[in-house]
Amino acid sequence: MKQIAIAVYAGVVAALMVWGFYEAIYVAPTDAMQGDIFRIIYYHVPSFAAAFTFFSISFLGSIGFLSFRHSHPEWAQIADAWALAGAEVGVVFCTVGLTTGPLWGRRAWGIWWTWDARLTTTLVLWLIYVSYLLLRRFAAGAQVQTLAAVLGIFGALDVPIVYMANRWWRTQHPAPVFGGSEGSGMARSMVIPLLWNMAAWLAWGVLILGLRFMVERRKQRNDDADAMEALESPV
Amino acid sequence: MVDHQFRVAAYVVTWVIQLGYLGWLGLKWRAVKRRAGRGNPR
Repeated sequence: MKQIAIAVYAGVVAALMVWGFYEAIYVAPTDAMQGDIFRIIYYHVPSFAAAFTFFSISFLGSIGFLSFRHSHPEWAQIADAWALAGAEVGVVFCTVGLTTGPLWGRRAWGIWWTWDARLTTTLVLWLIYVSYLLLRRFAAGAQVQTLAAVLGIFGALDVPIVYMANRWWRTQHPAPVFGGSEGSGMARSMVIPLLWNMAAWLAWGVLILGLRFMVERRKQRNDDADAMEALESPV
Repeated sequence: MVDHQFRVAAYVVTWVIQLGYLGWLGLKWRAVKRRAGRGNPR
């Protein structure tokens, strides 16, 4: 039953991806100023929206782990699996954003990268969560989950700073298109393809988040079983 | 023309990263499943 549900959901995601691509390439008009390069927005912006969403899930999972680790160990393990899955999927989307951005910047600004506040805080966010994943991968011992949870919470504090960076400071990165100053915004014919791609990439992200969560839960059960086996085995 | 190539590059990089991650996830899933089947009765 679970496998059928996953397959059906994967089908819906695939349909959304195809439709999002069609909207981005064939429906959305070419930008009068930037030309065809502007179409990178349909992958770049949804990737960061997804990254922020999944880092937020990691943040909540980390808080859940720290809250329940003594009172409800099983809940804490579930929260920790969400925290890890959120961080990992968030890094994947953030990596996409950080690679598509320079490709766009090279054509739009003439440079691949600049150390402005928006780009720098985004790179710091990526580095924090990569260090979170490296900590989980290479550190050993009972405190690893707790240390990772603390790092996950502090890492997530960078998300609002990244979001507000081009509102608080003058940046090379364009001013916010949505929720920006008066006169900001996009033509409806461009917003609709963007929303389709946002929905498609978020749906894709939820799919891989769920799969990553399942893998981690299975690993946790394996680790528990190994620990029980070690305790029960004669010396 | 160059714009077109950069846009294609951005889309391709996106899919390579996403599908690469999905592939890695599949390998990881197979590894934990195999370990569960081999190591413990649950």
